[in-house]
Amino acid sequence: MLLSLLSRRSLEVDSRDAYGFALRPQQIQRYREYSSIYKEEEEERSTKWKDFLEHQAKSVLFYSSAEKFSEVSQVKTTEEKEEAVLQRGREGDDSGCIISDCDVSTECNTEKEVQLSKGAKEEVQLSELPGKEVQLLERPVKEFQLANTHRKQVQLSQESEKSAQLSEESEKDKIHSKATKTHKIQTWAQVRPSVHIIENMMSCCVKKRQKMKEGQISASRDHLPSINEIGTSGGDSVEDVDHATVKKSEDNVVGKMVSSETLFSWKEELESLVHGGVPKDLRGEVWQAFVGVKARLVESYYQDLLAIESNVCESKERSNSFRVPGKFQKQIEKDIPRTFPGHPALDEDGRDSLRRLLIAYALHNPAVGYCQAMNFFAGILLLLMPEENAFWTLVGIMDDYFDGYYTEEMIESQVDQLVFEELMRERFPKLVNHLDYLGVQVAWISGPWFLSIFVNMLPWESVLRVWDVLLFEGNRVMLFRTALALMELYGPALLTTKDAGDAITLLQSLAGSTFDSSQLVFTACIGFFAVTEKRLEELREKHRPAVLVVVEERSKQGRVWKDSKGLASKLYSFKHDSGVEEVFNSVESDGVLADGDKSRPETRSSNLDELLSGLTVDSEVDSLPDLQEQVVWLKVEMSKLLEEKRSAVLRAEELETALMEIVKQDNRRELSARIEHLEQEVAELRQALADKREQEAAMLQVLMRVEQEQRITEDARLSAEKDAAAQRYAVHMLEEKYEKATAQLAQMEKRVVMAESMLEATLQYQSGQARVQSSPRSVRNQSSGVESPRRKTGLLAFGLGWRDKNKGKPSNAEDSGDKSVNDEKDSNIA
Amino acid sequence: MGCSSSLPGRSSGRLGGLNSSESGGVPDAKNLRVKLVLLGDSGVGKSCIVLRFVRGQFDPTSKVTVGASFLSQTIALQDSTTVKFEIWDTAGQERYAALAPLYYRGAAVAVIVYDITNPDSFNKAQYWVKELQKHGSADIVMALVGNKADLHEKREVPAQDGLEYAEKQGMFFIETSAKTADNINQLFEEIGKRLPRPSSSSS
Repeated sequence: MLLSLLSRRSLEVDSRDAYGFALRPQQIQRYREYSSIYKEEEEERSTKWKDFLEHQAKSVLFYSSAEKFSEVSQVKTTEEKEEAVLQRGREGDDSGCIISDCDVSTECNTEKEVQLSKGAKEEVQLSELPGKEVQLLERPVKEFQLANTHRKQVQLSQESEKSAQLSEESEKDKIHSKATKTHKIQTWAQVRPSVHIIENMMSCCVKKRQKMKEGQISASRDHLPSINEIGTSGGDSVEDVDHATVKKSEDNVVGKMVSSETLFSWKEELESLVHGGVPKDLRGEVWQAFVGVKARLVESYYQDLLAIESNVCESKERSNSFRVPGKFQKQIEKDIPRTFPGHPALDEDGRDSLRRLLIAYALHNPAVGYCQAMNFFAGILLLLMPEENAFWTLVGIMDDYFDGYYTEEMIESQVDQLVFEELMRERFPKLVNHLDYLGVQVAWISGPWFLSIFVNMLPWESVLRVWDVLLFEGNRVMLFRTALALMELYGPALLTTKDAGDAITLLQSLAGSTFDSSQLVFTACIGFFAVTEKRLEELREKHRPAVLVVVEERSKQGRVWKDSKGLASKLYSFKHDSGVEEVFNSVESDGVLADGDKSRPETRSSNLDELLSGLTVDSEVDSLPDLQEQVVWLKVEMSKLLEEKRSAVLRAEELETALMEIVKQDNRRELSARIEHLEQEVAELRQALADKREQEAAMLQVLMRVEQEQRITEDARLSAEKDAAAQRYAVHMLEEKYEKATAQLAQMEKRVVMAESMLEATLQYQSGQARVQSSPRSVRNQSSGVESPRRKTGLLAFGLGWRDKNKGKPSNAEDSGDKSVNDEKDSNIA
Repeated sequence: MGCSSSLPGRSSGRLGGLNSSESGGVPDAKNLRVKLVLLGDSGVGKSCIVLRFVRGQFDPTSKVTVGASFLSQTIALQDSTTVKFEIWDTAGQERYAALAPLYYRGAAVAVIVYDITNPDSFNKAQYWVKELQKHGSADIVMALVGNKADLHEKREVPAQDGLEYAEKQGMFFIETSAKTADNINQLFEEIGKRLPRPSSSSS
């Protein structure tokens, strides 16, 4: 927790992500791209979780008040025990490492109990304020915890100094230990009541598991007395404390079982929340709840382990049982600076915490001790929670989730690899075929993924999201689902690779840039929902014998390696032809090793023993026990072969069905393709039809228009014809008129001719007359000639002019006079 | 491959036969592709050697290797052949030896590293030599490497010891320093020279 605060301060360095981990330079850009998405997601999920927790807190208050009483009483008893242990520790220190604890004075105890009951009262007060605690903001809680861890660290350092402390300080120490205790209880109480309920439920699971494996657990705890026998003689009572508390809380659990059923409905809700990710601020607490830290916690156990460790170091006592942690200690020292190197939180203090945590675990579970990878796990946990909480979380993960994974032989991890390969073959046959072709084994890549639980393999956000689900599920299913999801995401790219190196490099770098953590988690949880713990267990059962055989083989190596293998290996037809040669070889090399051993007898003595025993057995190659062994071996081989055969048959069947399926699918695909084609054609035809119709309509329209036009032109023609007829008629009429007119004209001409002749005649007559009667005529003319001579001359002149014009000869006036008469007549007629 | 490939450790004896296809005896004699595995005690500098060789970098505080990690690098030799090394860098802690067969199986080259300041790591190297002689490919090229040669004032394993042991086992021996880059490239070039050429031998 302290670490997380530290890291928060110095996070803003460019090349580190939000968790303070170094980013590869080539990935900084992508991380930046995703950091805003992460921020959004974080906001979203923090409101979701807040709602959920508030809701749960309300509905749960009822239960919690009922539970409180029992809790308080439980706390009281553990406090007593712790006090006793501490007391013992102090006294032990007084007498210099060898302690007799049976004589813890009863007086002292009663006195303490008085004090304790006071503490308990405070405790009650504290826990009576759950409503307020709900409303506590996250920051104050953190500050509280910081204070706690700080004090706890003080306590720890004091404990390590304890050996130097004198008995006079016992009073002070007592007060101190009381102080640390009360706030330690606060640390647990400060888990929000709602988270608390998650915790209870998860604790139920833990308890159930523990009950099932009770034998196993007590076995794993067996080391405690052995350590304590040397360290302190009070080990037994520590053991008692363990059992007492465990039993107590088990009783509690039985009561809670009833309520846990009613709580089942919200588990699904919680599950979907977990798939969406746990908010950063809650992660530490929620993880503890998932792992069931509360149910695991044994008061002062952690401190005791550390005290034992420091005692041993003090006294330089190197008995057999301490050699093993010593070996681990070396490795731990090597690995501490190589754990998230450069992380701002892993300064001197951080590394000390890490060291204590790992050493305590190595003492707690010597079957595992220390295994590389745990350093990373411990480091992550320390970033999220106080040291002791981190210890119990680590215990939970290592002892339950990954039981048998990190032990000397790493059996379960090898089994898981075989299981994973089978799942791969089942899910991605094409990809596995390709990898087979390239000579790549899936386990080369998935092995490190599983062993590191993806730490350093994926970007941090994704690692933590995977851990969220993994810890929630309470088993290793999420490992498989995530690995399968990665294969699903990157399989297509892998199929394009041409050689083994490229394939592995590509997969590593693709996995390393899986920044889309939500996509990864959802692909894993939804896409591979069918991969369940039950199925995995079945597969593990199937593959475990093979691994066990190999492991046994390896462990036999120093002893009866060759001959036990000789016959059997021929049976399963592995190349093993140079048996004799190898015997020589091994004897020779054994000799070399023995030489080396002489120079360093201390370090290699155990190995030498093994080798010696191996050599002696070697010399008895033909003896009876060996034959028996061989028979056993052969039996195992036989059963294994049978199993293999069965699995081969099964796989063949599977493949056949898969093939059928594929063929079917192919057919279906073909059919659907054809249908599609036909449909397309139909659609085309329809389209064409529609087009044609449209054209038709258009044509019709055109036609109609043409018709109309035709009609119009017809009309026009008719009217034109009519007009023509009318005109013809008019012409006819005009012609008639013209004829008439010409006829008249002819008549007129005739008349004119007549009038001319008449005029000539008259002219001739007049001239004749004038010659006959010249004077009389003048009288007569004078008498009557007022008007007649004027008229006669006018008419005569006109007729003569007209005659001249017509004949072209202006001969005389008679014509003109005549003509003018005619003209007069013509105009009269017109 | 079928069933058999799904049973890693126990097939150790058989794999010499599969070797040619797995270890990448590429038919092309000019462009070799080889699988190389680095073995040795924890903290002797296996990862540092690889990082120096592949990326030319040295980080005094590199990460613990969990399981194994993979890198590849191609070099050109003087006879104008190129060698692509596919390098598996394994975890050093003793118990990870249980997983080592997965990685050294089918490897054409094994580089066994010890720390010249740490005699225990030299013992561990001898263990690996034996392990490979028993379970490795028959024609595996092995190199014994004494790393951290820059720390000569803290030397505890004389170069002579390493050389003698290597000669006895028919191995190539060299002392290197990933920190100063001494002999790192020479190591890989020498390995490249010693590789069986596909044309001359049927690997």
